[in-house]
Amino acid sequence: FPIPAVNHIRMEASCLELALEGERLCKMADYHAGVSFFEAAIQVGTEDLQILSAIYSQLGNAYFHLHDYTKALEFHHHDLTLTRTVGDQLGEAKASGNLGNTLKVLGRFDEAVLCCQRHLDIVMDLFDKVGQARALYNFGNVYHAKGKSICWSGAEPGEFPEEVMTALGKAAEYYQANLSIVKDLGDRAAQGRTYGNLGNTHYLLGNFRNAVASHEQRLQIAKEFGDRSAERRANCNLGNAYIFLGEFEVAAEHYKRTLQLARLLKDRAVEAQACYSLGNTYTLLQDYERAIDYHLKHLIIAQELNDRIGEGRACWSLGNAHTALGNHDQAMHFAEKHLEISKETGDRSGELTARM
Amino acid sequence: EGGTSSGVSNQILHTEGGEMEPETMETKSLTEYFSQLHMGSVMGKL
Repeated sequence: FPIPAVNHIRMEASCLELALEGERLCKMADYHAGVSFFEAAIQVGTEDLQILSAIYSQLGNAYFHLHDYTKALEFHHHDLTLTRTVGDQLGEAKASGNLGNTLKVLGRFDEAVLCCQRHLDIVMDLFDKVGQARALYNFGNVYHAKGKSICWSGAEPGEFPEEVMTALGKAAEYYQANLSIVKDLGDRAAQGRTYGNLGNTHYLLGNFRNAVASHEQRLQIAKEFGDRSAERRANCNLGNAYIFLGEFEVAAEHYKRTLQLARLLKDRAVEAQACYSLGNTYTLLQDYERAIDYHLKHLIIAQELNDRIGEGRACWSLGNAHTALGNHDQAMHFAEKHLEISKETGDRSGELTARM
Repeated sequence: EGGTSSGVSNQILHTEGGEMEPETMETKSLTEYFSQLHMGSVMGKL
């Protein structure tokens, strides 16, 4: 046999072996190591374009999970070009979906919408219901992110400009379209994700009762799967919605469950957030002793995490609660701490508030 | 639909619009492809 043919077989075997190891590592969420193996597989090279497409796609996903979105974009783009060149329709649909998700994170919403549309068009041509549901979910996420990217200027949910409300309305429509398919398919995990994001969309639209209904569904499904992270998210989101409904006691119960789960999951940052929310909720309930208790818990974790902004917020809240109780010395102590931190972090509005 | 309750602002909550569910990335499995290749070669020998 001619030697080049033997070398070619060896090369293919080596590339596939390296890539399979990369895949195994990524499945275990060791994305850094996975990337190294995939990069090595590309260096060796392959003439099998299905393998190359899978390597590009998985490299893109690994970089996505590592939050290196520029690299993720690069590899999903390679995958798209490759699949288009060889006329691999399903491969192109998947590459378009991944590219859309990456463009969304990068805030390039118009391009993301085009990718989602391409993903949807192909899977509809292929009568692929699972693919359709996934494309619709991605579409919803793009419009949700687009709406949120415009609206964050201090306005309250339900009171955003028309452009924001239009984008959020579209997000809700895509999530509903997705839900009707995943319900038909009996895919409970997908329903859970969609209910969660639909709940957040209703929340931003100011439809707080609908938000509660969606998050309740999400909570139930999270419990079915024993998914503690999803259960924590649902409880936190329910707490937020009940605050806006003026049902502070109910909100407090959901935040307490959020806190329990954050402790169970050993997530200190989320634990701090839950304490902060509970402190604010008890302030709304005018139970200042409890509010102080939770704001102190928040303060301790913020200090531990070296989160100066969180620390400043905690001091500000503690100052207010002590003022309400007439503890003027304590109130002054925390107000001074808040002023000091505001100066340090360059928080001009915080500094002005503290001086008042 | 319930409106915003008085005195509650996003400054108090710091929710930033709620916690989102993860993105669903499309996967192209090499393990599956390798199994198919292997099955193909086994079937070819039969």
